[in-house]
Amino acid sequence: MIVTGPPLALYLLLAAPAAGATLSLVPVAGVARVASRLAALVAVAAALGLLVTAAAGRWGPYLGVDALSDLFLFTVTAIYATSVWYSDRYLRAVDRPFLTPQVYYALLSAFAFTMISALLVTDLGLMWIGIEATTVSSALLVVLERRPTSVEAAWRYTLIASAGLTIALFALLLLYTDTGTLDAVRLAAMPPATTLPVLMAVALALVGYGTKVGLFPMHTWLPDAHSEAPSPISAMFSGVLLPTALYAFLRVYRVLGTAPPTSIRDLLLAFGLTTAVVGAFLLQGQRSYKRMFAYSSMEVMGLTLTGVAIGGIALYGALLLIVAHAFVKSAAFYCSGNVLRATGTTRIEEVRDLRARLPWTGGAWVLASLGVTGAPPFGTFLGELLIVVGAVAVGEIWVAVVVVAAILLAFVGVNGQVGRMVFGESATPTVRAPRGADGGAAIPYLNVAVALALGVASLPYLTPIVRSAAVLLGGSVP
Amino acid sequence: MDSSAELTALVGVGILLTALFLQSESFVGPLVRGIALQSLLLGVLLGWLAWTQQSVDLALLAVLAVAVRAGFIPWVLGRQIRAFRWRLREVHAAQRVTGHALAAVALAIVAWFVFQETLASIFPQPGGALPFVLLVEGLLMLATRTNTIVQVIGYLEEENAVVYAGALFAPHFPLFVEVVVFLDVLGVVLVGVILSIQRDVTGTPEGSALEELAG
Repeated sequence: MIVTGPPLALYLLLAAPAAGATLSLVPVAGVARVASRLAALVAVAAALGLLVTAAAGRWGPYLGVDALSDLFLFTVTAIYATSVWYSDRYLRAVDRPFLTPQVYYALLSAFAFTMISALLVTDLGLMWIGIEATTVSSALLVVLERRPTSVEAAWRYTLIASAGLTIALFALLLLYTDTGTLDAVRLAAMPPATTLPVLMAVALALVGYGTKVGLFPMHTWLPDAHSEAPSPISAMFSGVLLPTALYAFLRVYRVLGTAPPTSIRDLLLAFGLTTAVVGAFLLQGQRSYKRMFAYSSMEVMGLTLTGVAIGGIALYGALLLIVAHAFVKSAAFYCSGNVLRATGTTRIEEVRDLRARLPWTGGAWVLASLGVTGAPPFGTFLGELLIVVGAVAVGEIWVAVVVVAAILLAFVGVNGQVGRMVFGESATPTVRAPRGADGGAAIPYLNVAVALALGVASLPYLTPIVRSAAVLLGGSVP
Repeated sequence: MDSSAELTALVGVGILLTALFLQSESFVGPLVRGIALQSLLLGVLLGWLAWTQQSVDLALLAVLAVAVRAGFIPWVLGRQIRAFRWRLREVHAAQRVTGHALAAVALAIVAWFVFQETLASIFPQPGGALPFVLLVEGLLMLATRTNTIVQVIGYLEEENAVVYAGALFAPHFPLFVEVVVFLDVLGVVLVGVILSIQRDVTGTPEGSALEELAG
């Protein structure tokens, strides 16, 4: 079913997860699961409707969509749906969960609702509220498995993300003081003069929202929360939460028009490149595979910001990278969940010979890892390639060199470790995991297939919309 | 400076003094009372600005500041302290409290100068540097303390700074955003309290357990 044409799609996008969250609290077994699945399906259908019709426009003073939000809405709802589907099997394996299934599904849908809200509003103040609400709605999900480390990680996440977002609010205050409005559409259509408060606002928004994006050095919550959260939530964190926070920054960045001042562009480049390189380095020495994937997300966010800073075709690459990455990274985390269930550990050195123990999951994990690190022909490869090409095209050779170095480093690090876990010989005789333990691999394969399609076939509807979104932000695509 | 501006700046200095007091305190009870006082002063400031500018929005924010930040949240935090008496003093901070206080004063001076050199010409209001300094003080508290309740207090101080800046520089800043800022603090406090209770159940990770969060 494809729901076409706003505003029905817009209302469905908001109403479905809200209803899913509310109905999940009904204390009847199975209702939460069914309600969440239905809500996620309706949300995906509505987002797909916006995407294929390339919906653009605003409805009322606060709601509106354009190519950029269509793209992000589709990504968020798709990962929301796959996470809801994957959660059932995962929850059944959690011993003494901190949340009941009802509360878990309610918070999961509320988390999706907050992200969708942030993407649907045209007011930067409301967008900030949506992003801030993602923290409150998702923090308790991190504690599901009731480990002391997960409580610690959840608190770090809440505190660091909220503190960062307060700086983003300060940025909006500066912007409002100078321009008298927080209407993103109006500001983008008539960019204000680049006065000191406006430049400071964009710079502070980069720091504020960048905290939630996981930019270095504000990234410290990211590896903790990603590694301690249950796998479906890690998938949503990495796949869509970080990009949604980046989206909020992009809307503020857009007030500088299509040719931002060099000072701000250099600031973005500095944060982007540093984050990519630091993420690529830090993932090398990780002992936990979930933590390794968390640092890989940090590296990808750094590359994306670099693409945004370069502009032109690199911006197109950055947006393609973000969409494709959401699918492969979520697949990688779903596989991590299967491995954790079967082996009981997240330690890399204690996991070997998955090829024999969990053949389906092992296969999906290898594919997802290749996709995450930009191997051809995944969409991530195309995205990263375009960022490098974009850097070369504008004569920023050193930027291209650093980007390639970060990509190679991450590729070797992630695939080396996953390769060892899947193909490495176990010291003890390998026993194939009991039937059912390898189940739940269909969802990772589905997500891997989407990322592959983005690279190989460039989904016929998605490519034009990525192009439109890039053009909207000042990029150009030949 | 007219008497109205003088009063605004005077209350602002009071708010800053509470911020410096918070930095020099390691007992959790006085810290909670300190942030309540700071929020009360903020409420007074908002009320005064509402009166002078005949602004209903600012009056509503003043009521929220007093009810939520000076009343309800400190009450919740106070209950937490009474329930878990071992948290009465932040032991690690107690050993470094002089350092905290010195760093806080030094940072306040640096932030004040930075404001004067960059933004003072754009925001010429009397005491315009104070919210900026308060924001930095809140961040310092968040960065240097380890106790959950004290970190919540640092966060509250940071948000007090934003509300203060909004009232001073942009009194027409959209009301719904400001109201949500007040309510959002409740969400963070709620999460903090739940996690704090859970911390008592699971214990704080130490040694090898904490290694999982290393790197």
